Order: sequence, then C-alpha cells, then structure tokens
Amino acid sequence: MSLADHADVQDAAGEERLDPALLAVIANRLDAIVREMTSTLLRAGRSAVINVARDFSCSIVTAEDELLSTAEGLPVHVFGSHLQTAEMRRLHPELREGDAFLDNDPYVGNTHHADHTILVPVFAEGLHLFTAVAKAHQADTGNSLPTTYMPFAADIYEEGAISFPCVHVQRDYQNVEDVMRMCRRRIRVPDQWYGDYLATLGSARTGERRLKELVDKYGVELIQRFVRQWFDYSERRMSHAISELPSVTVVGEGQHDSFGPFPAIPIRVEATIDAEAATVEIDLRDNVDCVPAGLNQSRATAVNNVVTGLFNVLDPDIPHNAGSFRRITVHLRENCVVGVPLHPTCCSMATTNVADRLVNITQSAFEGAGENLGVAQGGSGMSIGNAVISGQDWRTGGPYVNQLFIGNNGGPATAYCDGWVTWTLPVCAGLLYRDSVEIDEQKYPIHMRSLRLLQDSGGAGRFRGAPSAEIVYGPKRDPTSVIYSGDGHETPPTGIHGGLPGAGAHAEKIEHDGSRTPLPPLGQVTLEAGEWVVGVDNGGGGFGDPLEREPERVRHDVLEGWVSPAAARDLYGVAFTGAAQDETLAVDAAATAERRSSLGAARG
Amino acid sequence: MSHRITVDTGGTFTDVVVADAEGRLFVGKSPTSERAFEGVRGALEVAAEEMGVDLASLLADTSVFIYSTTRATNAILEGRIARTAMLLTEGFPDVLVLREGGKLHGFDLRTPFPEPYIPRRLTWEVPERIDSEGEVVAALDEAATRRLLESLPGHGIEAVAVCLLWANVNPAHETRIGELIEEILPDVPYTLSHQINPIVREYRRASSAAIDASLKPLMGRHLREIAEDLRAAGFTGELMAATSFGGAMHVEDLSERPIYSVRSGPAMAPVAGRTYATHELGAEDVIVCDTGGTSFDVSLIRDGAISFTRDTWLGPQFTGHLTGSSSVDVRSIGAGGGSIAWVDPGGLLRVGPQSAGAEPGPACYRRGGERPTVTDAAVVLGYIGPDTFLGGRMKLDVEAAREVLGRLAAQLELRLEQAAEAVLAVANEHMVRAIQEITINEGVDPRESLVVAGGGAAGLGIAPIVRELGCEQVLVPRTAGALSATGAQFSDIVAEFTASSFADTGQFDHAGVNAALAGLEAQVEDFAQGLRAKGIGGMHSELFTDARYAYQVWELEVPLPGTRIESAEDLAALSQAFDAVHERVFSVSEPGARIECLTWKARLHAPIGSTVVEALESGNGNGRAAEPARRDVFFEGAWHDTPVHRGGQLPKGAVVQGPAIIEEPTSTLVVPLASRVTVSDLDNYLLEVTR
Repeated sequence: MSLADHADVQDAAGEERLDPALLAVIANRLDAIVREMTSTLLRAGRSAVINVARDFSCSIVTAEDELLSTAEGLPVHVFGSHLQTAEMRRLHPELREGDAFLDNDPYVGNTHHADHTILVPVFAEGLHLFTAVAKAHQADTGNSLPTTYMPFAADIYEEGAISFPCVHVQRDYQNVEDVMRMCRRRIRVPDQWYGDYLATLGSARTGERRLKELVDKYGVELIQRFVRQWFDYSERRMSHAISELPSVTVVGEGQHDSFGPFPAIPIRVEATIDAEAATVEIDLRDNVDCVPAGLNQSRATAVNNVVTGLFNVLDPDIPHNAGSFRRITVHLRENCVVGVPLHPTCCSMATTNVADRLVNITQSAFEGAGENLGVAQGGSGMSIGNAVISGQDWRTGGPYVNQLFIGNNGGPATAYCDGWVTWTLPVCAGLLYRDSVEIDEQKYPIHMRSLRLLQDSGGAGRFRGAPSAEIVYGPKRDPTSVIYSGDGHETPPTGIHGGLPGAGAHAEKIEHDGSRTPLPPLGQVTLEAGEWVVGVDNGGGGFGDPLEREPERVRHDVLEGWVSPAAARDLYGVAFTGAAQDETLAVDAAATAERRSSLGAARG
Repeated sequence: MSHRITVDTGGTFTDVVVADAEGRLFVGKSPTSERAFEGVRGALEVAAEEMGVDLASLLADTSVFIYSTTRATNAILEGRIARTAMLLTEGFPDVLVLREGGKLHGFDLRTPFPEPYIPRRLTWEVPERIDSEGEVVAALDEAATRRLLESLPGHGIEAVAVCLLWANVNPAHETRIGELIEEILPDVPYTLSHQINPIVREYRRASSAAIDASLKPLMGRHLREIAEDLRAAGFTGELMAATSFGGAMHVEDLSERPIYSVRSGPAMAPVAGRTYATHELGAEDVIVCDTGGTSFDVSLIRDGAISFTRDTWLGPQFTGHLTGSSSVDVRSIGAGGGSIAWVDPGGLLRVGPQSAGAEPGPACYRRGGERPTVTDAAVVLGYIGPDTFLGGRMKLDVEAAREVLGRLAAQLELRLEQAAEAVLAVANEHMVRAIQEITINEGVDPRESLVVAGGGAAGLGIAPIVRELGCEQVLVPRTAGALSATGAQFSDIVAEFTASSFADTGQFDHAGVNAALAGLEAQVEDFAQGLRAKGIGGMHSELFTDARYAYQVWELEVPLPGTRIESAEDLAALSQAFDAVHERVFSVSEPGARIECLTWKARLHAPIGSTVVEALESGNGNGRAAEPARRDVFFEGAWHDTPVHRGGQLPKGAVVQGPAIIEEPTSTLVVPLASRVTVSDLDNYLLEVTR
C-alpha cells in the first residue's frame, strides 16, 4: 500500500489526508521537542553516566500508549516507554495535570532498576493526549554494593535497589516529599541523585510545555489525525523495507560467556521474514529459564534488543515508533532468561551483557537472509574500562561512586563500511560519549597509566571490525573499588559472510611488584596505591572475506597501524613493496593476486 | 584616509563592503580567485565604480582594511593542510582517534568512522607525565625527545603540534619541548596546546593545537601574500583580519594563531545583525540567519551579546573536527536552492540532503539537472523571475522547472503549484529546525527575538520561517547579500585569553583563582599596549568563568561580577551569577549548591568598528517610488497578480503590502499574503507577518 493507493484527499479510513508538507512539519516539531528534552537532561544532569555518557533517553508516547517519537534515544531504551505509560494508566486511572510518576519496575515496562523513568501525562483542552517520558541511568540506586550492575545477585532482595512501580512523585507540579526522603536515605550520593532527578523531571516538563504549545497551534483534532497518519506512514516505510528482503527463517545462536560460578548462558534467536506479508516474527521462547543472577532480560529489553538487531540491518531512515513496530512480532516466554522475568527475579544487568548479545546475535543472524545482509557482531561487555569505581576522595573528604566510560569495544563491520571505533556497546551503538582522561582524573582520585587502541584487534574482513582498547589505571592514594562485568572472553564477537571475529576481552591486575594476575571476567577488585587494573575490550567482527578487501584499504590500515604487516600478508593476502616506516609502502598488485588465489585455494 | 574596506572571501564569491567618510556603504561582489587579491580587486572595482572613484585612489584613501577568508576552513575540509606531527603523552597515542565518542543516529551503521585529524603514522608519544594536581609523575625524557625531533624532517614534517596531559595545569614539559623545537627545527612552525587553548579535556586541547599548527604554513603564506598585493596596489593603512570571535586582529597576530581564522566569515554575520537590530529597533535578542548558496547559518545575540560556544565543528557533528576553542556560535546546515526534493518509499515528501549544487544545478539552469530542486519550486511559483535572476545575468528555464516539479506532483497526487509550495515548506522547515536547535540550547524563546536575515536566498522563505517560529518581525538589510563583509564594518578588535584554575565554591582556592585572574589581566594589558602603540584606544575587557554545578560536566559561560574573588560576598555574587545563567538556560537552578569553576577567560574589545550606521548608497536618489513591474506569483493556493519592485526604487518609509516581490541585485525578498514590508530610515526592509 502506498500513498498513491489512497483517494485524492482521503486515506483508507475515509479521513482527510494531511498536506504532505504539514506532515513533515509536525513530525519535525515532535523531533525538536524530544531533542529539547534531551538537551535539557544532558546539560543539566549531574552524574557522569548522564552528562558524560548520555545514558538516558527521552520519548513521547500517545495517550493510547503508542510510542510516537524517540529522536536520539539509545537503542536499548527505545522500546518500552509505552509499556510504562500503560502501567501508569492502569495504576492511576485518574490522571491529573501536574502529575509526574517515577517508574523503575523491570516487571512491567522499565528496562532495569538503575533506569529511573519520569512519566508526565500531558493535557490539552482537558484531555490526556500524550505522555512525556524521560529515562536516565542513575549513578546509584541503593544496591547492596556500590554499583548499579549486580551480576551475582540471586534476586531483587540481594540486588537491593529501591523499587518504584509507577510511584507518584509530583502532584500539582509539587514534589511528593515522602519519595524524596526515601531516595535520600537509600541512595549513596543523595545530592547527585536529586540533581539528576531535577534534570530528568525538567526534561519531561519541557516536553509537556512544548507539546501543549504544539496542540495549541494546530488543534487537538489535527494533531490526532497527524498521529494516525504518521504511524501509517512509518508502517509503510517498514513494510517496504521488509518486502525487499527474501522470505526466509534465520537462526542466530551464541552465548553470554561464563561468569563467576555460572556457566555460559546460551542464546537462540529465530527470525522469520515474510516478504509478502511484510512482517518479521522473532521467537525467543526456545531459551533457558531465568538464572539466579542479575543477567536476566526484562520484558522491555528482551523485545527491544531483538528489534534493535533488526533495525540495524534495515534503512536507518525508517521511523522507529509504534507504526513501524506493527510489522514486528516478538514471541516471549515467562521465566525465560531472554523473556518475561517473574518477581523477584533480578534484572539488574538487563540493559547490557545478555542484552548486547541479543542485539549481536539478531543482527548477525540476518547473514542467513542473503548476500550483503546482516551486520557483524560488535564488541560487548563492560569490563575494566567501563567499570563502576568507588571509594573516598581525600581531596574533597567525601565518597565517590560512578561508572567510567573510557574503555573501548570496537564496532561491527557492515556491508557498507568498517566498524565504528567508539562503539562502546551494541545496546548504545556508539551514541555514548566517552570520558576524557583528564576529567576522570580530576573528578575521581585515580590515575590513568595508558589507553591505547590495539593492532589486529578488529576482525578481518572485506570491511574490518573496529579495534578494541587496552586501559590501565589505579588509585592515586586511598583504595579504589572497581566493579566490572565483562563478556567476550570466551566467544568474542563473530564476523559474518566470511569475516573473522574480533579480538577477545580480558582483565588483569598489576601487583606492587609489577607482576600480573589474571582477573575473572566479571567481579570486584579493590586496589591500593601502586596496584593497577588492566582491561582489554573486544574488537568488532569483520564483514565479508578478508581476501576481498580493497588492497589500498589494507595498505592504509598497515600505515596507520590498525593491521600488522603479518596480518596483511596472512589474513588479507596483500603483498607490498617498500616500507611503512618511510611511507614508501605500495601494493604489489601481481603478488597480491597470486597470494590471494593461493590463500583461497588452501582453504579448499 | 577616510575609507574602510571589509572583505569576505567565500568559496565562490568575494564580497566587499566599502564605507566612505560619512559611513555610507557600497557593496561589490566578484568571483573568488586562487590568488585571493584578484577576486578582491574585482569586487572593489564594482564598488569603486558606484562611488565614482578609481581603485588606486580608493585604496590610497583607505585607513582600515579587514580581511576575512574561508581559506583555513576549506583547507581543513579538503585536507589541504600542512603535514603535521602530533606529539602526545606516552601511553595515550589515540587522543585524536577516540575523541569524545558520540554519534548522530543509533541505527545508522552505514556511516564510516572519521579519520583522525592527524594520522596515527604522524603521531608520536613523548615519555613524560604530569598528573591532575600538576605534579610531575614522570620527568620529560629530553634525550628521547631530541631524538624524536631530529627524526621529524625525515618524515617530511612541516609543522608540529604538542598536547601533553595536564599541560593546562603545569605547562613545564610543553614549554621545554617548544624550546627544543626552536633549537632543533628552527624553521618549523609549532603550536603548544596550553598556549592555544589551556582548557581541561585532552581531546579538545589536542585538536586545537593540531588544527592551529597544521594551518600555520598555509595561512602564514596566504596572509603575507594578500598584504603584499594590497601594498603593491597602493594601500598603506591598517591591515586586519577577521576572527572566529567575531572581531578583528592584526594579520601578524592571526598568522601566529591561524585557528582563529577558521569560520571567521560566518562569525561576522551576527556583528552585522546586532548592529542593524540595535540601530533599527533597539532589539537585544536577535536571531541572525545567513543563507548562502549551499548552507544556512544561524547565530544568536542575547541581551545584546553574541553567543559563543566551545563546540565548533568543521564538517558534520561527530564526523567532522572539533576546533575545541571558543568562538562565535554559528550553526550551519546544508540547505540551499540546489537541495533536491524527492518522495520516499512511504510516500513522504523529502527535501535534501542530496543537492544538485551549482553543477548541474537546478533543472531551470538547463545544465543537465533533472531532479526537482528548491530553486525550481521557487521558479514555478514565480518567486524568482526567470529574467531577473542574478541581476539578469542568468536566464532561467521555467518550463524545465515545471516539468521536473510536475513529475514530483504526480507522485504526490498534488497540483503542480501545491507540490512546489510543499517543497518550499519542507525546505523552510529544515531552517526552522536549525534555528530551534540554537535557541533551544541557549534557552532563548524565538518569539521574543528579532530575526535578521541575510544571504542571497534569505528572502525567499524568511516570511513563512518567522511565522512558523512565532515571530512577528524580520529585518532584511539591503546589504543582505554581503552580510559578513557588512559585519566586519562594525567589528572591533576582539582578543580572548584563557587560564585554567580549578576552584570549587565549597572550598574555594582564592589564591589560585586570583593569580589566574591577575595573569589574564597582565596578558590583556600586554596586548592592549601593543594596540595603543598602533594608536588604538578605548579598550575594555570582560572576565568570564566556565563553571558548572558539582558533578555536572558541561560548563556554562558566566560573566564575573568583579575582577577578583576575595571575600565571602564575592563568592556569593559568583554563585548567584551562575545560578542565574543556569536558570536561564535550563529553567532550573539550585541556589546554594557547590559550583566548580574550570577556566577563566578575559575578552578584550578594542573599538575600531564604525559606530556610524548609514543607509546603503545605491540608486534610489529621487525619493519617489517608481512604478513596479508585475508578474503572476502563486501564494496560498492561488495565482496573484503581484508587483515586483526593484530594490533601489523604494523610498524610505515606503510600505509594501503583500503579495509583492522586491528584487535586489544580489537577493530577492518575497512578501507573501498577510505580511508587509516597510523601508526603514536606513533603507533596510522590515518585514512584518501577521500570525
């Protein structure tokens, strides 16, 4: 169905079609509102996880609980705010202007406890028309350990976060002080939390103000008509993209690597494309039960992460909203590690780790749909370079706890280009900002010894995976606790269509005497001055046969140090004359052709 | 010695504005040439002819010449910079690769990651380390540094950039490397990060140093060349150059810090906007739009002050390069007459980002363009006259425009004219969005601001744009076609000095901060003395700090209430000043919360700009309106028989009701229904729209 199938001025529902320019104008206006919400939260937020890493998202949901706009939102946060607004309406049937709700309940629609979501119902002409939603990862949520990630917690009681299942935090635009007091008692950095709360609330209130202005300008009826037609448009875009794929069922399999006492968690994603019906069905039911640990997905993240994997292989210009979602069905099972967790299952880590694997496994599974389809796997896991550090800072006399964002997982190669270097994690796809070494050293009493990208760490391929980083840091004076949760130490990100995997991750401790002790992939370590941690992240997987990589790109990689001369020769089959040192390096075309054909032949 | 000449050398056109002794302005335009002076001379000849003088006597009678060029910006965007070595602290070789992360679209895995500004192969690690408290953790290994510097000529290095961790707090190691470079590589220009941009955040400092060093050979040559050419042509006055601060500095100073030349042209547009807004309407909050051939620039004036930013990207955000230094905040989007209109697979009308550019250009140019563009839509609607485009120098083919638009209209199931109107509306919406982005970030309400619109294409869509923004007035200067060169006429010498001294209002380091402020004052005084020696007086300077609430990381620029922070009252005044800025920008503040101050800045203004604002001098001598031509123009669903005025023919005080078109030699102003234009006392156009 395309716009051309409609009658001149009426759509299929017999409704007057909006002027095409007006459709674009209002869609832009909604994006601008979400951007303004985003800007407010980014710049006014207090904790590094918000204002440095921008681990937050803003969205607009309709009163019918359909996700309308999520400009610039993190992929991992995109799906789910409409589940939260539905819960808000169920629990608070009498919504009033001036209300605001705090939700972090992973059993209904939130991602995990660490994401505090503020929901503000927006009224115009007395009608509840939209809900403005701002969701931000907190520096601390009162867990039993000073981190928002609890991989080993058996249930939410061990996890320790305070739960807010859609709780009233403002009435008549005034704080409900009871809730403020609870948070101040149970959150380790109460002032920082309150600053973040104000920023998040300010963001949602900004959205409210702007949405009211929008409705004032265009009127309720026209805006509602816009919403319907915008969803229809988005659905058409999605149908069109799916109809260009082959009808096929693809299966992706992988695992989250073993952690502590727990064995690896196998993960299986089955996706069925029906090109004719223009639908994609994704089935996650054939997976293991929830584990007595923090790595379970919540309902929102399980759906979200496979949908992200699907969107990653489609035209990025397709709107990501309830309209395009209509073409996707995701099958989940209760009490499944990648399904619907039951109370009191712990989902502390629902936005990373297994979540990252779900994105990776889904996007790479589409390799099976045909040539040039699918995306390789990207580096995942939050190892030493993305750890939560805490302790006492003698310079201020106070405590500190926050997550570093200074390591680097390499991004996946695609049919279009090499991997994005500052990828961080599949669930945030490079959107996060990185810390500055100097800002980290200024804010926390730690000293960075080195931070460098590693040669040959990106998976070889026609397009190459991005490299990973190695970081070394330690405390300046008083002990520092480092809590981290890596992955990819056993099964690093895989390549597709013949691309090779990225390099694996590992962690080490450097003792006082300079000797090195391996550290477990997930865990906590307390360092004294003179001790250091070393973290190596994953490189991204490659796309396509390395023997098909343009030799000039390999030459550039060697000159720039991304690829060693040995790898250029043995993996890419490129022969050179001259030397990299003085930049006389040149591709020897004849020798390269010969080497490539013999390497190809040797594979059989 | 009574004239003042200002020049804006763009990629395509060179604009000049000449002010005579009475402050009357004359505009000239000419194609830009490789030897920049050729284009300048061409444009000057146009202006000189209008003034009735010859070029030699004009130049001989000119006291100040302010030169602005896109040469530095283009060199960066096109990768034609010097072969530059980057020296970084050992252990941290990837500062320019890793940058600060961030990416525009989460689901876009098709955009390649940008190459570092300086390739890794030309990046070297220096054995040394200073920590965040300024303590030397590892001494500079001079022997290794010497060996490294001695090896650089073998790599064909033409410039050196140095950025060591915490050099902003303790510059000893950078300073020493500077001395070693002068000793070992005496002819190689270099930049030390703590000198060009002493702020915390190693990527920004490194990027500033790298960009600055990489421009030194090129800009040094270029500025010498223009100075020689001007002297040879008889100019004996003061030669200045425009900077990214929206001010001017002597060319010798700019050669030393060529990073300040980057985007200096666009930085001048708000200077013009501010001048006209103040003189015409006394407006303090102004949005300045400048529509070029392929880009749309927006800048902001708040409470009479031009907005600055530390986030100036060359090229797109996240994939371009961040200059890292403070400059006039000018947001730029790719938008122009060449933007192509198309229908996406969901049936939605889109405009851009693909552009037909100047070649093949819009279909109506008849140079092989086959896709409908914004210009084609404007031609179909009669906004642009086929015979008067570019002063009649280029004939446009209306039928070709109708044909390509007709295909688009069929796809959209609209009438031809409706489709053309929709194309312009969508194109305008991109500009509305660009304006919203800058105003949103600064907490400015566009409805309470005056819009000043410049650039040749500004007048085509400005009325609907301001209507969408909820504004009522827009000022279109008659010099709209040369807004940046006009701005330079009113610009002062502006110099900025920065010092890092971390201070927290919870336990304020009075000694450190006051020492930093004293150091800034000394630098300002030193600079001022140099100006006084050149006969420039009346300087004043302002102090600022970049500060944030504890735990925040993005700072806000706050004017200091005094010159030192001694007492509890001084500290309270600083806190209040910060709270007020925070409240303004984010609509929330937290009085009493701890504030962290990172950098301290002094900005010096030396007034050399003209304070006399006079009318543009051209053509309209007799004060009587000539009878306008007429043509059919399409507005709001119908054709209207519309008067087409020639710019020079409208007398001061004339009121033109929409629908109407006003054609200037280098720009067109479309006056739609329900709007009107008044010609001001300074001969500018004040367009008012009814909401």
